[in-house]
Amino acid sequence: MSEYAITNSIRTLRFLRDEMTQKQLADAIGVTRQTVMAIEANKYSPTLEVAFKISLVFNLPLEEVFQYKTKDI
Amino acid sequence: MTRSEHFKELLQSISFRELTLSIDLLVSVYISYFYVNSLMNASTQQLSSVSWLSGLLLQVLIYSVILIVLSYLLLTFISDNELNQPPDVREKQINLVGYKYKAIILQAGICVAIFQYQIEANNWGPAIEYNIPYLPMHIMVGAFLIAEIVNYIAQLYKGRTGDIYE
Repeated sequence: MSEYAITNSIRTLRFLRDEMTQKQLADAIGVTRQTVMAIEANKYSPTLEVAFKISLVFNLPLEEVFQYKTKDI
Repeated sequence: MTRSEHFKELLQSISFRELTLSIDLLVSVYISYFYVNSLMNASTQQLSSVSWLSGLLLQVLIYSVILIVLSYLLLTFISDNELNQPPDVREKQINLVGYKYKAIILQAGICVAIFQYQIEANNWGPAIEYNIPYLPMHIMVGAFLIAEIVNYIAQLYKGRTGDIYE
């Protein structure tokens, strides 16, 4: 049985962007650092607006930041 | 990683919101302890006295307000204007989860209090055995205090684990 889950590449993208901190990203998109931590750990799926803001920060299309993949159970 | 390093990492990961919730939780636990302790140490005459009871409730109210004001003043000094920042969507969702549990406990408390009142009014068996004056009111106050504590614990737990979907 397989189920879909939202994953992301934020941690890698932050690292590639001059090792941007979680706090810097959080300030840029208007959320708390804890929310960025939860998104990176795939424990929280951001709203569409926050997802677009994150992709704007990295100047990448949404699908390069977030992926919708199957996860095997 | 040593225990002190674990503790240091935990302190660094605590958000200002978690700190605020923890202080609110501590205040609620202390107020609950004060209320229960006062009831346990009260004599039968005090328990049946309306003036003593209203004095106790007034004390609970005054202590709650003073402790909350003092804790928020302290938080204002140590925070970097974080108290004024509005919560983000995730924090609002966590608040809603906490309020859900709070509402359930309050509703249950009111139902039990109404039931207890009916028992006392109709002189059914259990009411005579308990023999605690104004028990429905104590049940409602107790439900309110438990609801507050559960609300803060649920918010802290959901915020820490990130598991907010139910």
